[in-house]
Amino acid sequence: MTTANVYQQRPATEAKAESPLFHADLQNLIGKGRSNPGVVLREKKLLGHLTIRGNGHDPAFAAGVHKALGMELPGALALVSSGDSSIQWLGPDEWLLIVPTGEEFAVEQKLREALAGSHIAIVNVSGGQSLLELTGPKVREVLMKSTSYDVHPNNFPVGKAIGTVFAKSQLVIRRTGEETWELVIRRSFADYWWLWLQDASAEYGLGVAA
Amino acid sequence: MSQSNRLPNGGRIDRSKVLNFNFNGQTYQGFEGDTLAAALLANGVDIIGRSFKYSRPRGIFAAGSEEPNAVLQIGATEATQIPNVRATQQALYSGLVATSTNGWPSVNTDMMGILGKVGGKLMPPGFYYKTFMYPQSFWMTYEKYIRKAAGLGRSPTELDPDTYDNMNQHCDVLVVGAGPAGLAAALAAARSGARVIVADEQEEFGGSLLDSRESLDGKPAADWVATVVGELKGLPNVTLLPRATVNGYHDHNFLTIHERLTDHLGDRAPIGQVRQRMHRVRAKRVVLASGTHERPLVYGNNDVPGNMLAGAVSTYVRRYGVAPGKKLVLSTNNDYAYRVALDWLDAGLHVVAVADARHNPRGALVEEARAKGIRILTGSAVVEARGSKRVSAARVAAIDVKAHKVTSPGEWLDCDLVASSGGYSPIVHLASHLGGKPVWREDILGFVPGDAPQKRVCVGGVNGVYALGDSLADGFEGGVRAASEAGFKPVEGVLPKALSRVEEPTLALFQVPHEKGTARAPKQFVDLQNDVTAAAIELATREGFESVEHVKRYTALGFGTDQGKLGNVNGLAIAARSLNVSIPEMGTTMFRPNYTPVTFGAIAGRHCGHIFEPVRFTALHAWHVKNGAEFEDVGQWKRPWYFPKAGEDIHTAVRRECKAVRDSVGLLDASTLGKIDIQGPDAREFLNRIYTNAWTKLDVGKARYGLMCKEDGMVFDDGVTACIADNHFIMTTTTGGAARVLQWLEIYQQTEWPDLQVYFTSVTDHYATLTLSGPNSRKLLSEVTDIDLGREAFPFMTWKEGLVGGVPARVFRISFTGELSYEVNIQADYAMGVLEKIAEAGKPYNLTPYGTETMHVLRAEKGFIIVGQDTDGSMTPDDLNMGWCVGRTKPFSWIGQRGMNREDCVREDRKQLVGLKPIDPNKWLPEGAQLVFDPKQSIPMKMVGHVTSSYAANSLGYSFAMGVVKGGLKRMGERVFAPLADGSVIEAEIVSSVFFDPKGDQQNVE
Repeated sequence: MTTANVYQQRPATEAKAESPLFHADLQNLIGKGRSNPGVVLREKKLLGHLTIRGNGHDPAFAAGVHKALGMELPGALALVSSGDSSIQWLGPDEWLLIVPTGEEFAVEQKLREALAGSHIAIVNVSGGQSLLELTGPKVREVLMKSTSYDVHPNNFPVGKAIGTVFAKSQLVIRRTGEETWELVIRRSFADYWWLWLQDASAEYGLGVAA
Repeated sequence: MSQSNRLPNGGRIDRSKVLNFNFNGQTYQGFEGDTLAAALLANGVDIIGRSFKYSRPRGIFAAGSEEPNAVLQIGATEATQIPNVRATQQALYSGLVATSTNGWPSVNTDMMGILGKVGGKLMPPGFYYKTFMYPQSFWMTYEKYIRKAAGLGRSPTELDPDTYDNMNQHCDVLVVGAGPAGLAAALAAARSGARVIVADEQEEFGGSLLDSRESLDGKPAADWVATVVGELKGLPNVTLLPRATVNGYHDHNFLTIHERLTDHLGDRAPIGQVRQRMHRVRAKRVVLASGTHERPLVYGNNDVPGNMLAGAVSTYVRRYGVAPGKKLVLSTNNDYAYRVALDWLDAGLHVVAVADARHNPRGALVEEARAKGIRILTGSAVVEARGSKRVSAARVAAIDVKAHKVTSPGEWLDCDLVASSGGYSPIVHLASHLGGKPVWREDILGFVPGDAPQKRVCVGGVNGVYALGDSLADGFEGGVRAASEAGFKPVEGVLPKALSRVEEPTLALFQVPHEKGTARAPKQFVDLQNDVTAAAIELATREGFESVEHVKRYTALGFGTDQGKLGNVNGLAIAARSLNVSIPEMGTTMFRPNYTPVTFGAIAGRHCGHIFEPVRFTALHAWHVKNGAEFEDVGQWKRPWYFPKAGEDIHTAVRRECKAVRDSVGLLDASTLGKIDIQGPDAREFLNRIYTNAWTKLDVGKARYGLMCKEDGMVFDDGVTACIADNHFIMTTTTGGAARVLQWLEIYQQTEWPDLQVYFTSVTDHYATLTLSGPNSRKLLSEVTDIDLGREAFPFMTWKEGLVGGVPARVFRISFTGELSYEVNIQADYAMGVLEKIAEAGKPYNLTPYGTETMHVLRAEKGFIIVGQDTDGSMTPDDLNMGWCVGRTKPFSWIGQRGMNREDCVREDRKQLVGLKPIDPNKWLPEGAQLVFDPKQSIPMKMVGHVTSSYAANSLGYSFAMGVVKGGLKRMGERVFAPLADGSVIEAEIVSSVFFDPKGDQQNVE
């Protein structure tokens, strides 16, 4: 009896891949626009995204996650990174693991092995979301225009991650550096966010990075 | 010299920067630092508009947000029009164009003026209610006329070129108002390290200190302002917002601030800059330092241009270097107003006299004026003014100690400016927005904010603390309190020394008496903006309006953009006296947001134009665009509606698409359907309880259609769910229901069945779904996949895993068209490549992309329902003839079971879903059309159902529909009629809802 159906979802051979913002043609915008822009955007695309569900109060669960990932299971509103991987708390029984492109299949199997016997869920959502990185001195202003959550450093230190209302929809905001933030966005909303962020950044200047 | 009223020196203006502006078609000059009002006064412009009801000429009356008359239309072009701008709050800029909103053909020769004088007598309070009430159908016509006559400005008819946005702010302490108390509070809070926002509606911080003759620490008060602002600017935890009006105080210390970022720079914002910004502030503590408004005295003809608030005169003289007249008569009931006479004298101008209603005033300022030789008439007041377009004289007469009677005929004094001061009213608007009732304080003759549950501190003028030194101390203390309540350790501070003077109490004088009595005296205006007189208020009380709220509505006192700033206290005091009750018994009216008008642009922010609403796209959208799709909005999604070829309309295209699917193979982007990953040992049991049908025996590899009901037994979503491992399922939902179904599952798992071990995760965006449908779909798919598609190997309602177009896929053999169908699910990133391969391979099969319209038609031909189209939340599975999808013997109860077995839900004559076949095959039944059994009955007819889905263009060759009919399932072959709005009637036969391939052979073709 197999409890869950896990399969390699990416093609083994070279296949055409289009990230959520593929059609915005960001590649062509790199280096264009105002010099010293207040905000610089980068799509960290096609990464492996896994949603992990489980009982955070169960030491076996936390230990299993740690064993499989080498990262501590983060507590409320926290983000933990290790190399190119990160895991963040999404809710009392929900975490988001982001790993380099293509590693998600192996990582899921590793996690399932480490957590065998526990009631958990691991779901590959790589195709459904993307990461937008925003860097620059004016990112905070752009966030203030977009979300009613308090993004002041007093309330939003580096390493914090929250899910919240943003413009007229919702997404996840992570602060990964003094002036660096990441937005975890859903694929179908990507164009809306791109249009929104361009607009909100207009007065500060928006640059695009590779 | 064009600026005839400009003083030779003084004022916080830059005389080297001359600005041209236009008012009512004429060009004038002013200086940088002027408000529009100051510049107009400098140019001797007396008449600024015509009054609301009586069309009397009006001039600038005040210097701040309480201005009742100079409410102008601003804008050089149609696109940049802004209505309701107070000239006293608009900074002058080069090229400013302003027009009066009332007065035709011009404010100086107003046709309405003549009509107004006649009409004035015919227009008592309540005039509109009495006159325009009947006939009701005429109200629209009246309203247009009234609005035009009222002259309240107009909105632009062209698109505003400027950008307006919103910004969310959070702070420990929000200080409202940057006068002496506000600045002191801000200092105290900011030094503690708290996050502080200071907002003030004026062009610069300082409030009353900007035109004060007081000194602080022996230096001009404005120097202290500069020092404080300098210190605050240097603190990283402080945000300073000048030109920012705190307009609304909402629940939980949420306040809205309307900031005018570039309104002072020009008709349009400089390129790349935002014009106005709405700050949405969540403050831990609020310090209200909103100050006071001076009350005018109410006397005859107190509205003629040349009558002004006393304090405004000082403001124009000291802050703008403008003398709004030559010969001043000051009428007062308090000490503080004497500074106006002193300022006037200092400017080298002539003070004709000061009329003081008090009989023996001896305060320090009074003595100072007396010492300077100013003529002071005690126990007196200006009882009426004279002049039509400008004051030419004022009559000062003696009044009794209670200020109820005129006791001497008095003396006409030659003057061109009457400044009046009737005392000071704390600006309690914000403190009252949440309903807190202001409290009357007899000692200061004013309402102060009452107790309120909000976490706020009131300081300075609004707190009834008037003397400068006291106000600074009160402000500082309030700032300390707010910061420490917000969790910060207060820091000591030294306040500047202010001169303290002996000040005598103000005399209660809310209406200056007149020999003729209120009704016959020259008009004594209480609310100039709404043209409400003392006589009107008395009349309202005589007509039986005893509540202050009723008096307000009957007379229009404090209506609209005025929000009771100027006339509220005088008005209710007059009403109280007329009703013989005390002022506290009378009480105030409610003050509502917004404090001053806010543009719609600032409210909407960036939620407009192309980013008004989120639009969701599938991973295949670009392909649809390339292939000429017309799109339909489905929730937030853009879905291809149909794919017209050159020259095709929707009907032709849909007919072609339908035929292609029935004859060969079609392709649909089904990515928008909700997809939910369900994992856990109790997943199966959970499905048993959520769906109406049974799931216990669904094997791995198989899929099943399910219906979901709410507790009331009514269908609310449907879809196919597949078992992909023993404890692992993939559920599909309707496109529109995706979010609400996920929420539904979570609610039930978390609140009702927490013992069931199961998790739900949305994978809607993760998978793109391509549906191939039609007799050739197997052949086509086999060319791009390694999956065995054989009839036995891959039967109906099962799924397989394999490569499609070289990409790992899960393929479901399910059908919404009645044809052989495969739904291919791929990680969305790779979907475009797979689609291109399928499209290429599909050419020999005439692979035809189709949209939602064809999908709707094809499913209706098969009698498949669409939840939300054929259901409306009032239909059970039995009503839909889907009793086969109810597992009546499931051991554990499931959602909807009890609901659908209620007595009313098992009636035989409920509306039931049936097919409808128009007798004339070319007639199309409109969706929503009501159905009757007898079309000849008289109106109102007995309605027995309605059409839910109807299609003229389809693959059947005749028009058909689905609809609900009372007891319809037992009426097969009977007739129903749809009487339409145009008088015609369409007759239809009740038939089975399955029009196409009732045996289901099509999905099993070889």
